[in-house]
Amino acid sequence: MKQLIALDINDQIYEVPVDPWDLLSDVIRKKVRLTGTKKGCEQGDCGACTVLINGQAVLSCLTLAIACQGKKITTIEGLAEQDGRLHPIQQSFVDYGAVQCGFCTSGMILSSKALLDSNPKPGREEIKRALSGNLCRCTGYKKIIEAVEVASETMSKEGVK
Amino acid sequence: MFLNHFEYFAPQAAKDALDLCDRLGAKAKILAGGTDLLNLMKDKLLKPEYLIDINNVDEFKGIFYEPGKGAVIGAATKISEIERSEIIREKYFALHQAAGELGSVQVRNMATIGGNICNASPAAETPTPLVALGAKVVISSLSGDREMPLEEFILGNGETALAEGEILTKFLLPEPISGSVSRYGYIGLRDAMEIDAVNLAVNLALGEDGRIIKQLKLVMGSVFPRPLVSEEAPEILIGKEFSAELAEEAARAASSESKPISDIRASAEYRREIVAVLSRRLLQEAFSAAQGEV
Repeated sequence: MKQLIALDINDQIYEVPVDPWDLLSDVIRKKVRLTGTKKGCEQGDCGACTVLINGQAVLSCLTLAIACQGKKITTIEGLAEQDGRLHPIQQSFVDYGAVQCGFCTSGMILSSKALLDSNPKPGREEIKRALSGNLCRCTGYKKIIEAVEVASETMSKEGVK
Repeated sequence: MFLNHFEYFAPQAAKDALDLCDRLGAKAKILAGGTDLLNLMKDKLLKPEYLIDINNVDEFKGIFYEPGKGAVIGAATKISEIERSEIIREKYFALHQAAGELGSVQVRNMATIGGNICNASPAAETPTPLVALGAKVVISSLSGDREMPLEEFILGNGETALAEGEILTKFLLPEPISGSVSRYGYIGLRDAMEIDAVNLAVNLALGEDGRIIKQLKLVMGSVFPRPLVSEEAPEILIGKEFSAELAEEAARAASSESKPISDIRASAEYRREIVAVLSRRLLQEAFSAAQGEV
């Protein structure tokens, strides 16, 4: 039986009818129509569906939407400024060639955001560890890691969150 | 991938969770982190009619430590919270290490220690160090609580001593004895996002002279349907002065006690060899660290 729930996504409240078995990834994509969140393996291995819940990176493909009421959800659409200016992590992914096909990018950037929020100056090993739940089949990871290093510098220089 | 249709409950109080569990019995499953359960449901291996989400029950969460008594860890505590806990790092290092190796950042933010135990995978990270550290589990139901050593709770691959109407609610970790040190290690196909071919934990205590081994527990994971406690390694080492030769002998003994299978992740022969390698390595590491303690 469908139930109307309120989801706080990117500081906006969406009222959506859901069934208990609806996954957060499907609700974000199909009902809220924010398609930046991707579905890859759908079993928690690839990290493409990563979103932040209360600031922590989690897998939306293994999360029930109904369990997310009252929590703050951040998707890739919530990172850029209102005027379209990219978040420093997004900008450095573009500048340093860390985006190729783009399918893993949303998850990579959100995992990077969670890392930099808790550890603003991570070492290379810490970056690798933080991104080990996000698979990329194009880049070989080198450029992604470089992009996170640059974003870390930009963010601390500019004092961006 | 779709989930079967079910009714969802999210109780706030322990009493309500136990009530639901009692009333719904085998038709219900407990939802903690969901990283194992929802995958089993997606694969149609489980089709529960009800899910009881215990994430909102505060009594099932948190890490509490009392000097001299030990630690209590709520079953619905996230693996990432255990990984980050200062007291777990200081007192129960092997558990800290294992928590940091489970899945990915995302999985650790979701998965719970109770879930990792109740899923009872022979290759799971946390059972091995928990058994080495002498953990007990608290099993709750409407008729009260019962306790048992973790090694008696896990019965086999996916099997536990949990009866209908019961919820695993707490882990009790005894205060480590003085001069003791614990270490965890694993070998898998790669370093990240793998499932261990073998994992192992040792909990070793030295006497006041800093050389004689006073106590030892060596536990092997992924080489038996449940965590396997070595009987021979303590017999070889306890009461003796630590040496590389004795550690090697104990490692070989543990290896011959292990009963691994060959599967997609490793052959039985390789696993037996790795038991010896990890045993030797962790015994040496734990000994060196314990010398620094006394």
